[in-house]
Amino acid sequence: MTMTAETAPATVHMQEPDLLQRIKAKYFATRIDAIVSVAFGALALWIIWSLLNWAVFDATFGANRGDVCREDLHGGACWSVVSTRWRIVLFGLYPFEEQWRSGLASLVMLGVAVLSCIPWFWSTRRLPILWLTGFAIFYVLMRGGWFGLVEVTEQNWGGLSLTVFIFAAVSILGMPLAIVFALLRRSDLPWISKTMALIIDTIRSLPLLSIMFTFAIVMPFVLPDWAIGGKLYRVIVGYALFFACYQAEIIRGGMQALPVGQEEAAKALGLKCRHRIGYIVLPQAFRNALPPTINQFVITFKETSLVTIIGFFDVMASGRAASGTADWNFAVIEMYVFVGLIFFVFVFSLSRYGAYLERRLDTGRR
Amino acid sequence: MEKATMKALIAGAALVGAAQAAQADSRLGAVLERGSLLCSGHNGSFLGFAEVDDKGTWKGVDIDLCRALAAGLFGTSEGNLEIVPISWAQRWPALQSGDIDVVIKVSGWTQSRDTELNLSYSRPYFIGAFQAMAHASLGAETMADLDGGTLCVAAGTSTERSAAAYLEAKGIEAELLTFENGDELRNAYYEGRCDGQVEWAPSLAAGRVDAPDGAENHVILPDVIDLESEGIIVPEGDPDWLDVQNWMLSSLWYAEANGITSENVDEIRANPPTATIEKFLGVTPGYGVRLGVSDDWAYNMIKEVGNFAEIYDRNIGKDSPYGLPRGVNALYSDGGVFFPMIID
Repeated sequence: MTMTAETAPATVHMQEPDLLQRIKAKYFATRIDAIVSVAFGALALWIIWSLLNWAVFDATFGANRGDVCREDLHGGACWSVVSTRWRIVLFGLYPFEEQWRSGLASLVMLGVAVLSCIPWFWSTRRLPILWLTGFAIFYVLMRGGWFGLVEVTEQNWGGLSLTVFIFAAVSILGMPLAIVFALLRRSDLPWISKTMALIIDTIRSLPLLSIMFTFAIVMPFVLPDWAIGGKLYRVIVGYALFFACYQAEIIRGGMQALPVGQEEAAKALGLKCRHRIGYIVLPQAFRNALPPTINQFVITFKETSLVTIIGFFDVMASGRAASGTADWNFAVIEMYVFVGLIFFVFVFSLSRYGAYLERRLDTGRR
Repeated sequence: MEKATMKALIAGAALVGAAQAAQADSRLGAVLERGSLLCSGHNGSFLGFAEVDDKGTWKGVDIDLCRALAAGLFGTSEGNLEIVPISWAQRWPALQSGDIDVVIKVSGWTQSRDTELNLSYSRPYFIGAFQAMAHASLGAETMADLDGGTLCVAAGTSTERSAAAYLEAKGIEAELLTFENGDELRNAYYEGRCDGQVEWAPSLAAGRVDAPDGAENHVILPDVIDLESEGIIVPEGDPDWLDVQNWMLSSLWYAEANGITSENVDEIRANPPTATIEKFLGVTPGYGVRLGVSDDWAYNMIKEVGNFAEIYDRNIGKDSPYGLPRGVNALYSDGGVFFPMIID
């Protein structure tokens, strides 16, 4: 009966090492370890200390205190510029009295984004309805001209709300386009799939900036008058096309990871083409492609700041305008930090949400 | 009626007819029909010329000229002016494609722009000198002292070309480092990445005031690398539209030369001292109609934004934080180079 002896539970108690011991074992095991740890620790402390000094202890807070900052330009950050001019960063050139609309519209869009994180909305019907309704409310609020709201043309949109608008419009337009592109790319007819592949590869080989330039500046000379539309919308279409081409390849990757048997089984069950795609292929393809999709959204959000080059007053340009005046010209860095923080908040929550989705969907698969 | 008068009348009628026909395909006609002027703004800010105040409204010399133009065309710029934010690179294509009607964006008059880009320039409204600013610690007194150093300059501007040409002509061996964005350029200079920066003098002066290590550590070198005349730009082949620009600028100088300001314009209009001023302010007809706008257009302009001195002082001159002396940009009577055209 050696078996019992072998399978008997081992009752050896591993002593839990306390914090001090763990730190010692990890960072101070050898002399070199200790030197490296101390050096980098000191460096990190020094960086954190100088940052804190600049951003908090020596900083000037409160609105309209530019003269205080000016007297001591070597000192800390001058957050006064943010307290005084934050409205420009958020709303750009939007008429001052109407800025509540711009703020409300952005909140609506934020609400839509939060709501679409709730699993109840995750159906092919609810999600598009939610986004389109939110987008419509956003547009009506921003543009006005209805319900007694003063009309504010796109020329005067700006700041964070314009960035949110461009991002949302590109996503809403680009996502369905990407699905269509991916399906065409996988078409059984070679001339369709080859043509689609050519289009996708062509657009992917062009830099985003040149596409935006082309749509903003060259298109009006090429298109007939009725098709020109506003510059903002031309750029959004161009950007959406760019987004769709990248996203199409991501979705195609997700589709190709599916076992062939899935689709064959669906065919054998007599499911129609759109049911096969809608219920079997796409949901699984999206699950496979989730990490790169989130990545693509993050990139798309960040690259909206390119529109400043073709003269839109997005959050980047507004930041420059906010510090670009005689009173605040010295506080450029503070303004860039503020704009950077805005981007960070958006992008970080997006990637955290992506991580949550991955965990959740992974549980579903098991 | 005498024959001569009759002839003059017929000729006049023919001229008016011609003017009206021409106006139909002029940008002037399109703007009047649309009821609003699309003027160039900025994607960010350009100190003193196009800035955004705390409430998100544009201000600056260029913006005031846009407002003057809109006020002249429509009586008031309120509701009749759209400032379209555009970048430096985009201003010419935007003008050609009709995104904007006119470029008022401190743009220098260069030969290639005038000829190859098919642009028409108005008379200059500002003379800008390109100069260099250097770290005082270098002890440089002229550009020649920067031999062997590095100069920071904005990419793709006429400044860059002028600086390169100047260095070549003077046999100064200095490296030119280009930057896309003004903030970046200034920071690179302040951080010591370059020994000097070449810029448009008003921008240099504005930047020096806010130097992080104090204005006294930077010197603006006296060498004038180039003088640039900044004008208003319209597409080539649109003489009617160009006329309006030229006469708008002339009106602002005329008002300054005759002491007409936004504050006293109503008084002077009520009791015009001379027949020409009477005509200028639209009390007697002729000053506007010949251009295809209303006769009181100059009055509306002055009433809203004031004469040229008021525009200058408010935005970059003595009443602004920049306090830039008027210098060569003053009227001829004050030692400058500007003067109004003759009103007859």
